Amino acid sequence: MKIFDPHVHMTSRTTDDYEAMAAAGILAIVEPAFWLGQPRTFVGSFIDYFNSLLGWERFRASQFGIRHFCTIGLNPKEANNPKLADEVLALLPRYLDKDGVVAVGEIGFDDQTDAEEACFAKQIELARSHNLPILIHTPHRDKKRGTIRSIELVRSMKFPEERVLVDHNNEETLPIVLESSCWAGHTIYPNTKMDEDRMTALVKKHGSDRIIVNSAADWGISDPLKVPKTIGVMRQRGIDEDTIQKIVWDNPVAFFAQSGKLDVSGIDARPEIDRKQQYATNSVLRGER
Amino acid sequence: MAAIASKCMFQLQLRSIHTTLMTSTRVLSEFLRTAVRSSADTDARMWFDEALTLVESGRALDLCGIYTKARRLGRARVSLNAAEQGDFERLASGLQFDHWTLEDAGRAALLLASAAADPDGFVRAATDCYEQGDSAEQQSWLKSTALLPEPQQLLPIVIDACRTNILPLFEAVACENPFPARHFPERNFNQMVLKALFNNVALTRIAGLAGRHNADLTRMAADYASERRAAGRTVPSDIGLAMTETP
Repeated sequence: MKIFDPHVHMTSRTTDDYEAMAAAGILAIVEPAFWLGQPRTFVGSFIDYFNSLLGWERFRASQFGIRHFCTIGLNPKEANNPKLADEVLALLPRYLDKDGVVAVGEIGFDDQTDAEEACFAKQIELARSHNLPILIHTPHRDKKRGTIRSIELVRSMKFPEERVLVDHNNEETLPIVLESSCWAGHTIYPNTKMDEDRMTALVKKHGSDRIIVNSAADWGISDPLKVPKTIGVMRQRGIDEDTIQKIVWDNPVAFFAQSGKLDVSGIDARPEIDRKQQYATNSVLRGER
Repeated sequence: MAAIASKCMFQLQLRSIHTTLMTSTRVLSEFLRTAVRSSADTDARMWFDEALTLVESGRALDLCGIYTKARRLGRARVSLNAAEQGDFERLASGLQFDHWTLEDAGRAALLLASAAADPDGFVRAATDCYEQGDSAEQQSWLKSTALLPEPQQLLPIVIDACRTNILPLFEAVACENPFPARHFPERNFNQMVLKALFNNVALTRIAGLAGRHNADLTRMAADYASERRAAGRTVPSDIGLAMTETP
């Protein structure tokens, strides 16, 4: 089974995670730009973060045979810092053009403030002008309303819904997303959001069209093997291999291929690992040479 | 013996405070100083007196540095008897002091002294103390917000602090603190209540919650209960406290 984890924050993870992910069959990942657990106070912190997603993290993934793509955007939490938000938005056009940036994201709502909505709308415009799809983070709190507002904003701006991935869905938001033409992401977490059993029940009820699952593993309690673990539960419950393959590979590949920056032809082959490679004179070998 | 004498002085002073016509800020400032002085050890008390004198004189060049150093006052709880607690709650209308440590009280006194010495520079100085503060300093700062002048100018910081994932920082805003109920716009107040539910923080700890009930909060709480049930999860038993009417 080929596995694509379309949402995982590898910056917060270790090389053990990369090894386990590769061993479990994960071939490719998307790392969305998000917040780092504590607010940044200077635009320079975003420059370094974006550069890290595009450079060092992609290199690190390659050293374990995993293809690493990313999305770039201003997350909704930090959209509430007006000075910083303007400075970050001004940076984005340059980053969105870069290689391996397969969407604008994560964007959307957190507290559902006016500032968040303004930054969300500006970034939908940027996605249009840079010909990229968008990855929408739906909020933890007041999620149903936040999901509805997100889809309404996309619609009011006439952004093509088939180029929108609405993430972190649950039992109540999935039907809303499926009624639109957007894709529906599900984050399988150990304690919150969605779990493997509930996800399997959702697939049995709603099928596999436009359905995507991810681990969203980050600095909190999370697990970068949640996509393979969900595959295990879906198999146990009798979901057929083609349906599973569609959810964990075909769908995310098809969605992000809309960026024109994800080469579908070679993506299902495990990249060759050459640990003698270096990134800016640094390697993952820590002196072991 | 010295401790008892100091405690008696404290109570006498407190009583005399009530009879004066000092502004409430001044009264609070005196209360905090007395509380710190009556509990801190000798070295810490001497440092604190010097630091306060310096800040009051307007000659403190590095308020943030002094704010940090207040850690030497320690993290013992400020101990108040029931009468003192009652006096304080009246002075600070709704603020519950029993979760405060000596460093919290000392830092609040320092900010109030800075506000008195340089009212025009206060917001900038206080903002620096928050932005350059570590987690403990930020908690002290947030706990003291209901006592500080210029609440509208401090409001964006307090709202932003609610976005933290660090639970003690969130609790410093949301719990036993009347600032949010007094100053948060409805949307931010509602988000704070939902976040408390989300993090298993008891809603009884939110000061002034009943006075801020609104239709949107009731809907948000009902939606959250529905989302939890759909996921096969338990619903917080105190969720009704967020609702105008329990459905």
